[in-house]
Amino acid sequence: MIPVRCFTCGKVISTEWEEYKKRRDAGEDPRVILDDLGLERYCCRRMLLTHKEIIDDLNPYQ
Amino acid sequence: MDIAFSRLESEVAKFVLSESIPAFANSFRRTMISDVPKLAIEDVIIYDNNSALFDEMLAHRLGLIPLKTNLSEYKKKSECSCGGEGCSLCESVYTLSAEGPCLVKSSDLIAQNPDAAPVTGEIPIVKLEKGQKVVLEAHAEINTGLEHAKWQSTLACGYKTYPVITIGDNCDACGHCADECARHVLKLAKKSVEVIDGKLIDCSMCKLCEKACVGSGWEDAAIRISSDNTKFVFVVESDGSLPVKEIMTYALTDLKDKSDSLVDVLTNISGAL
Ligand code: SF4
Ligand code: SF4
Ligand SMILES: [Zn+2]
Ligand SMILES: [Zn+2]
Repeated sequence: MIPVRCFTCGKVISTEWEEYKKRRDAGEDPRVILDDLGLERYCCRRMLLTHKEIIDDLNPYQ
Repeated sequence: MDIAFSRLESEVAKFVLSESIPAFANSFRRTMISDVPKLAIEDVIIYDNNSALFDEMLAHRLGLIPLKTNLSEYKKKSECSCGGEGCSLCESVYTLSAEGPCLVKSSDLIAQNPDAAPVTGEIPIVKLEKGQKVVLEAHAEINTGLEHAKWQSTLACGYKTYPVITIGDNCDACGHCADECARHVLKLAKKSVEVIDGKLIDCSMCKLCEKACVGSGWEDAAIRISSDNTKFVFVVESDGSLPVKEIMTYALTDLKDKSDSLVDVLTNISGAL
């Protein structure tokens, strides 16, 4: 799962993940999406840029 | 001492604090970060959880959810008349019960007191598959950022001294400094380089312009960067649990109370001597 907040500054960034993922998968430039979402600090931007969702890989092993 | 806001919204404030001293600016910043209380989930009772996240992980995620805080409604647990057991004056209770397949969000966290609900309902907590279930009860309490970062109501909260740019007579308007400046503070005028109107506050005092000027052949750089130690440019952001204005007023009152009590103690000691 996407971390609730940015590790560095504490801004809640998890709320933007669904939209970020959708638009990124549609081929949009991450820089434009992040600017649109209002994430101006690079600490918050890397949270979304570098996130890999693994909960679906874990789920079968319950 | 004077404060001039350039921006004041419920979650962001930018202002210049003038006629002050570095010690005060820094105590103000530190008080806003670590001494302003707010609500955050501290205890979680888990009745059922067979999701992919461990109980601890779930509790951790719940703790980070910002909750709307009305400081007049709740007291710190240690200062409450219940003696720390937990009552409606010092605790806010939430319940969550969800069954997969679904994405559990902070809006599924049902607050007994709607005034203490999560700031946003869109925070994902855990994704559940078919057959997975989460049932829990969470207790939030008031505390300060000094205890744990989840009780810190500010995000970016900092200041810089006000920049001062002096351009000497020996400037020959070669423009090297303006080209070097990453914040686009400088522009070329007829006889020398100038600061663009309203851009001075953007200067990060990186001194790249000074270096560029020395590099262009002068013995002494014609442009000099220094800072005004009585003026501070602040940025304060809130996570939404308290409005920025309340954070600032609370911090200032807290600072005043502390310095008053220090004065009291000092007069007592000196009186006793
Ligand atoms: S100190 Fe840095 S930001 Fe300020 S004017 Fe010089 S180059 Fe620009
Ligand atoms: S680099 Fe020095 S000499 Fe050239 S314009 Fe800037 S201040 Fe003037
Ligand atoms: Zn951040
Ligand atoms: Zn109590």
